[in-house]
Amino acid sequence: MSEKLTSKELSKKITNEYIDEAFRAHELGKLVGYTTAISPVELFVAHDVIPIYPENHSVANLTAKKGAELCTVTESLGYTSHLCAYARSDLGYRETGMTVTRGIPAPDILMACNAQCFTLTKWFQVLARRGNLPVFVFDTPEYVMNKKAREEIVKYCVIQLKEMIAWLENITKKKFDYDRLKEVMKYSAQASALYKKFLDMAQHKPSPISIFDCLIGMAITVYRRGTPECVEYYQTLCDEIMENKVSKGIGVLQNEKYRLYWENLPVWFKFSDHAKLLGSYGGVILTSLYVHAWSFEFNLDKDPLVTLAENYVSRFSNSTIEDRATMALDLFKRYDMNGMIMFMNRSCKAVSFAVPTLKDIITKRTGIPALVFESDMGDQRFYSETQIRTRIEAYFETLDRLQLAKSA
Amino acid sequence: MWDNLSIKQVVKHANDPYPYIRKWKKGTGKKVVGHTIPDVPEELIYAFGFLPVSLIGTDKPLKKAPSRLPDNACSLARSNLELVLSYEGDLFDGFVLPQVCDTTQHLSDIWRISFPDKYVESFLAPRQADRPSARYWVKEEIERLVSSLTGWSGKSLKDEDLRESIRIHNENKALLKEIYEIKRKNPGTLGNKELFALIKLSMQVDKTEFNKSLKKIKEGLKIKKVDGYTDVILVGITCDPPEVYELFDEIKLNIVGDTLVTGTRYLQGIVPDNENLIDALTERHFKRGFFSPIHDNVYKNFEEVKALYKQTNAKAIIYVHIEFCESQEYDLPDLKRMIKKEGMPIHELDTEYQTISLSHVRTRLQAFFESLRGGAL
Repeated sequence: MSEKLTSKELSKKITNEYIDEAFRAHELGKLVGYTTAISPVELFVAHDVIPIYPENHSVANLTAKKGAELCTVTESLGYTSHLCAYARSDLGYRETGMTVTRGIPAPDILMACNAQCFTLTKWFQVLARRGNLPVFVFDTPEYVMNKKAREEIVKYCVIQLKEMIAWLENITKKKFDYDRLKEVMKYSAQASALYKKFLDMAQHKPSPISIFDCLIGMAITVYRRGTPECVEYYQTLCDEIMENKVSKGIGVLQNEKYRLYWENLPVWFKFSDHAKLLGSYGGVILTSLYVHAWSFEFNLDKDPLVTLAENYVSRFSNSTIEDRATMALDLFKRYDMNGMIMFMNRSCKAVSFAVPTLKDIITKRTGIPALVFESDMGDQRFYSETQIRTRIEAYFETLDRLQLAKSA
Repeated sequence: MWDNLSIKQVVKHANDPYPYIRKWKKGTGKKVVGHTIPDVPEELIYAFGFLPVSLIGTDKPLKKAPSRLPDNACSLARSNLELVLSYEGDLFDGFVLPQVCDTTQHLSDIWRISFPDKYVESFLAPRQADRPSARYWVKEEIERLVSSLTGWSGKSLKDEDLRESIRIHNENKALLKEIYEIKRKNPGTLGNKELFALIKLSMQVDKTEFNKSLKKIKEGLKIKKVDGYTDVILVGITCDPPEVYELFDEIKLNIVGDTLVTGTRYLQGIVPDNENLIDALTERHFKRGFFSPIHDNVYKNFEEVKALYKQTNAKAIIYVHIEFCESQEYDLPDLKRMIKKEGMPIHELDTEYQTISLSHVRTRLQAFFESLRGGAL
């Protein structure tokens, strides 16, 4: 009997098999469908369309510090440097073939959901034009704070999901299988619950995981939700953390002093540098609304299209700033956090334009000061090392002072 | 107050209409509802007895908006936010804010949080336009807006009031179209700045009154045949500051067609005849031309531009890019490529609200048209 794989080994295996299958899609009689990280991908999975996330591929290149180089190529085609670094580095990859991975197969169809952001829709339009390919936009109006309006928004989204099914049937000439969708939803629901359990491990003191673990750990649910292997992965991951860390009281930092909230996507190319720098001050970033975006709560007793619509339309990125603040404050309470870093990400307008207002609300409600800094998640040209390091140092001095005053 | 304006007065008011809207409000005792662009069904607001005012930025300095929206946000969004946060917020009793992109979505939230004591409603326009669900959704949103305005005003919408409102708004657009046509054929008769001031002010004042001014202005136009103009079309969303139109006038460009939300796209909003008025407003939503932030096909935009260019016999296209409008920035490289491939000369004009100096715009524009006139013209 073979030995049980570790979560790391399992992640590698799942990813390799997934990419292998995607590259062999046509051989297997399947289509490659590009989609956005927050999108009702369950419909693709149920219809045997292999989902590919250009964002994930961009993350790999941006983390490997290829952002500036790839973005420059795109800018030479007439696109401005203000656009999302995911999009710019992706278009640069398509122009040059430069990547730190095996790359990703070309799409047959594209589906963009604006619950995450509208930039993805525009980026996918550009890709669709290049290959003269069909693109479906799943339009999710802001989940405004009005019960009646919310019911109508969900109805509108369900109608669109039905349109998407008809669109898929028309392209593939294959009838959509609703029983298969129910099965896919079951896996998605299980994996999402386990993923949330994984994120919530950060409630322990000291926290056994940091946001950097979450950012690595979230990859599988982003691109493999709706599959049994995704469920297996998160079960393994949770078991490992419980057994190896929580039960032994092992934390990311044993001298954990500051439990921090992070707003926004990470600065991908500074990922580990930030962890080390913050750690040197006794700070560990525990969570963000961003990593919780995949903590879906699918209700399997409901019509699958209704629970899909309800979940995707209510993501943090499609919620009002007031609701986002409520979601973040819930995390502050549950994770007992005492600091926050608010990143104004030039690439991500959808998340960043809420940050100043969000910061004000959270600070007012918690009394916790915030560190706000501006940079870019993937384009190194917008990152100022000295300035950000100085701000982080100054922020911890403030937190130290506050803590001293509190204990006095 | 708006019924006997000369063209000179229109230009003056269009630059800063707010002092006069204040006077009008004081005189009539009516409520004023501001709305950002595009596509808010202003006829509904008017039918409730309120004055709908399109907010199209301010030229006054930015003071408070930068602390809410960073410098890479759409300059119109920042300018509009500044307009209400620092200068004119107290004038308005309420706001209706359309959401058409990431920026406008956040703008609505920031606005609502900034004005907790005022009526603030979102108009959630669909961001896809080519499927039946889009039509379904527009109707739902129009009905929701009716219900929201009913709740705020405490009175229900009467069919005859909406019908009359639609008639007034349609008349306004028809008059503007007629004036546009006169200017198109006789560029010396009316300048670009004057024409677009007429459209802008129409979007901001009481149309029952202003239509009277439009009729008089139209009848009083003295047709002049002046040579030396180059016919151009303007493509984009808005074109500000108004001094840009002065520049066009100065170098003798005649705008013979446009796709602006503050231009022809507004005039395309004539509500069709339909017994059911909500259906009519829904139908109208889809009669307007391409709008970059809505998911629509850029090929369609290209075909629209090409058709307009040919139909008007224009000699060049001026694409007006609002600084940091992400949607335009995604569309533009492909659109430019298609336009150039078709052999249509295109000049890209980058604009920013709060622009103080237009010297760089002038230099680039002059260079482009000098070379064009020295060549094919």
